[in-house]
Amino acid sequence: MKEKRMNPRKVSALKDFACVVPVLIFLAIFTYYPIVELIRISFTDWNLLKDTWQYVGFKNWEWLFNGSGTRYLWNSLRVTVLYSIGELAVTIVGGMLFALIFNRMNKAFGAMRAIVFMPKYVAMSSAAVVFLWILNTDTGILNYFLSLIGISPVDWLGNRNTALISVLMLTGWRCIGYGMMIYLSAMMGISTDYYEAAALDGANSVQKFFKITLPMLSPTTLFLFVTTFISSMKVFQSVDILTQGGPYRSTEVFVYNIYRYAMVDFRMDRASTVAIFFFVLLLLVTVATMKISKGNVTYDS
Amino acid sequence: MRKKLALALAAAMTVGAITGCSGGGSTGKSAVGGGETAAAAEEGGETTAADPANYEVTEPITITWWHALEEQYTDTVEQIVNDFNNSQDLITVQAEYVGSYSDVNEALVAAHAAGSGLPAITVANTPYVAEYGAGGLTEDLTPYIEATGYDIEDFGDGMIAASQYDGKQVSLPFLISTQIMFYNKDMADEMGITMPTTWEEMDTFMQEATVKAADGTTETYASIIPGWDQWYFETFYLNQGVKIINDDQVTTDLNSDTAVAIAAKLKEWCDNGYTYWTGTADDASSNMRNNFISGKALSVIHTTSLYDTYVDQCDFEVGMAWLPGAETKNQEIGGCVLLIPAKNDQATKNAAWQFMQYLCSKDVNMTWAEGTGYMPTRKSVLETEEGQAFLEKKPAFQAIFDNLDLINPRIQHAAWNQLTTIWKNSMAELIIEGGDVQEAMDQMAMEIDDVLGDV
Repeated sequence: MKEKRMNPRKVSALKDFACVVPVLIFLAIFTYYPIVELIRISFTDWNLLKDTWQYVGFKNWEWLFNGSGTRYLWNSLRVTVLYSIGELAVTIVGGMLFALIFNRMNKAFGAMRAIVFMPKYVAMSSAAVVFLWILNTDTGILNYFLSLIGISPVDWLGNRNTALISVLMLTGWRCIGYGMMIYLSAMMGISTDYYEAAALDGANSVQKFFKITLPMLSPTTLFLFVTTFISSMKVFQSVDILTQGGPYRSTEVFVYNIYRYAMVDFRMDRASTVAIFFFVLLLLVTVATMKISKGNVTYDS
Repeated sequence: MRKKLALALAAAMTVGAITGCSGGGSTGKSAVGGGETAAAAEEGGETTAADPANYEVTEPITITWWHALEEQYTDTVEQIVNDFNNSQDLITVQAEYVGSYSDVNEALVAAHAAGSGLPAITVANTPYVAEYGAGGLTEDLTPYIEATGYDIEDFGDGMIAASQYDGKQVSLPFLISTQIMFYNKDMADEMGITMPTTWEEMDTFMQEATVKAADGTTETYASIIPGWDQWYFETFYLNQGVKIINDDQVTTDLNSDTAVAIAAKLKEWCDNGYTYWTGTADDASSNMRNNFISGKALSVIHTTSLYDTYVDQCDFEVGMAWLPGAETKNQEIGGCVLLIPAKNDQATKNAAWQFMQYLCSKDVNMTWAEGTGYMPTRKSVLETEEGQAFLEKKPAFQAIFDNLDLINPRIQHAAWNQLTTIWKNSMAELIIEGGDVQEAMDQMAMEIDDVLGDV
């Protein structure tokens, strides 16, 4: 009997463990297993059209880094980075600008804030379809307004130079309110003591912004930077509906590139290979952002 | 304690990963197994091929039909399905609109790979036949045809060839069309323009039929050639001897001198404002249609299936002209075939076969031909008085009836779909963004060779 009784600390640890087991099982099935599968599939020649597959060694990796896939890998990397920079600029710079403009707590401004934030509630697919019409070359309202000031019609979605900008217009419309809201709540949290002290020392409002507001918002900026950057790297829906990666793959972001190999070309092997590359890349980027930003953020404690 | 917990966690993860792995292995195996059973079933089918009892429907069954027929065809689809459901007791068909031909393709291949969610019968755009045949997605209909004594010979020869793969009848012709040059007859008469019949004449036609404003912008395009589907411009290549896929089946000659000259010509016409490149965007087709309907283009190259749609929407007389040829003046089959996915069970396949015979029957075909721009598919119509009666109703179809023998099957290759995507994109990029034609075509050929060699 005595031997069977367990150390109470051990029992407690076991209980703790039992509590996380369900989550672990879920993670194992829906996250870790697919990742392991991806790696395995990348060494096969699995084409959805065929019933059988076999292992082909590093063939897909060769295709990706030293074959016809290379050109489009770098293309999608470039497009994704450009898109991310755009979304980051809109969310952080635009969000902060809007937060400063709408930082008045009364009913009228409350209503305006709600209007700016509203697009976030609209489903991306619906919004994208509406933008398809806005951006239409012949009948779109954007070109109509441009024609009023004498600008000839622009083929927004059919031209390499404007297609990505068009996608970013939709992104901006949807995301700027989100950035604004996050910044506003952070601004509320900055103690007025700082501003009073600065006023006593004779600081003007520009100085107040750069010496107090901006540094005090740096944790928020970091948060927005990291979350927006990672989510923007995974953009898909808007591209799928607005441009399908076109014209001629000029808006083919990473996830769309993977989707294309898997569901248009039916090359699961190639899609998996690109997906692994993307996964590793995203992992490295996240670690790097966290590391670099550690030293440059002011936490008000 | 912490360390132990971490260890346990790691262990749990590893176990998860390992079981995951073996699961993956079995996926592969089961897929192979699926293939074997299919093969076994086929063998079984062969030995008793002539026995009609194997292909009879004996119990009530509900089957799904996937199609890509848009809104304007809804009434016809409903009527045809209802008529079939009411004509017998056992089979109930549910029609399901899946989307465009490429949507159907994506959904079908995904369902085939998953082995579930397959329709009993589906339409498929003509160029997919080879891909599906090679991948074992489609049921070989030959034993069904033999057992039920189905009269396949009545279909036009090109249509039969277009629905076969490797000599096997893996599908049946359903809604068949071909490329055509629709033109604004009133405008052409007024301008004194005759439609070009050769590629050579096309050059002068493009110049003469274009109307430009004082500032040099185009008021009326001579013609618009769709860039969202290479089907509309590939005959220009084929008729000048470009093979597109060489006899070795793994290389392309789309960067040969002739091919580059054609691409350069197309680009030149666009650069001169005689036409514009539509690009590959979703709205390219509706933009082109609007330009034609509103008189901003004298002609457009499109599919005959849209004949009735154009006639309805245009307030001028719509003419149809055979595409300009060269050494040959061949054209290609378009539209869709019907097929039965091979992974269905036999009862479903048998019911699908019944419905397929009905859909491809002469009466149903004529319903489509009269109500839309799809063509009559039967020799017993095309070559008889019935065809003459049809022409009286639709005189513009004379251009097609005159050239029936010139309508060829599509190029069949398992990587065709990938090839065309690269081709369309390269053409759009070259013409819209500019660049050196030879260089662009060489780069394109390199990519195409890669997909052709890797199927």
